[in-house]
Amino acid sequence: MPDSEAKIFDYDQIEIGEELGSYEYTLTQEMLDNFRASINDPDAVFPTLAVKHDATAFAMVYEDNTGGVNAGNEVEFFNPPIPGKKIRVTGRIADKYLRRDKPYMVIEATAHDEDGRLLEKLRTYQMKKPDEVGKKWHPQA
Amino acid sequence: MASAGIENIKPGQQIPSVTKSVTQETIEQFENCGILDRQNIHNNPELARQRLGTTYPIASGRMSVAFASESLRRFFGPEVFNHTGSVNLKFLRPVKGGDTITVTGQVAGQEPDANGARVTVNLICQNQNGHQTAIGTGAAVIN
Repeated sequence: MPDSEAKIFDYDQIEIGEELGSYEYTLTQEMLDNFRASINDPDAVFPTLAVKHDATAFAMVYEDNTGGVNAGNEVEFFNPPIPGKKIRVTGRIADKYLRRDKPYMVIEATAHDEDGRLLEKLRTYQMKKPDEVGKKWHPQA
Repeated sequence: MASAGIENIKPGQQIPSVTKSVTQETIEQFENCGILDRQNIHNNPELARQRLGTTYPIASGRMSVAFASESLRRFFGPEVFNHTGSVNLKFLRPVKGGDTITVTGQVAGQEPDANGARVTVNLICQNQNGHQTAIGTGAAVIN
């Protein structure tokens, strides 16, 4: 949940380059095990994908009642995170634009571990008019 | 496996495909890996209905990123992919519980990189009905 200081999200008010702050958490073996089970890949090493670093950074700053649909993801892997180590994440709003009259927002996050190892860079393209996507998908089919 | 050497990689070469069964249980298990206890369109049918108009929650697109990562890791080898790999996917259709997703890919080409050669792979994620759910690219650097 967003903290008590969370701002109400307003697409028109967000700014490109706006910092979403940073946060830390400890990656546990249980998180890694659950991630591996969820995707049925016992050799997967980036449970950070499911932690959703960028979306988490955003959710810690903004209370978003609009929601959105993930239109795309870009991720770069540098070093697998190690269970038991703290992970520090910094996030920002990388871009916003209109495409076919629909509002998009790009959020990104960079993760390092407590030893300063760069782990992952993640970028999410989110369309902030989710009902339009639902119509396109023919949800009743 | 590509990690055997750049000389063995040719444009058009297929990478190992992976096929994954997606259930509402695995969708929710994926969501539960997060550090925030959040209700969203992946784990709450009512929110999915309100926001998307769907009658079902949908899987996070990041699950498909993870599936594609497995396919690429098998091709490049973990020592290469886990340290130089990347995935870039555009999501085209929803994935929901009951779907089976297959990731396929083929080598698009390579270009010089400061640390070797960056090999790019075109990726397709397809559901059990033959519909593309995501397309994009993956890459890694081989020295």
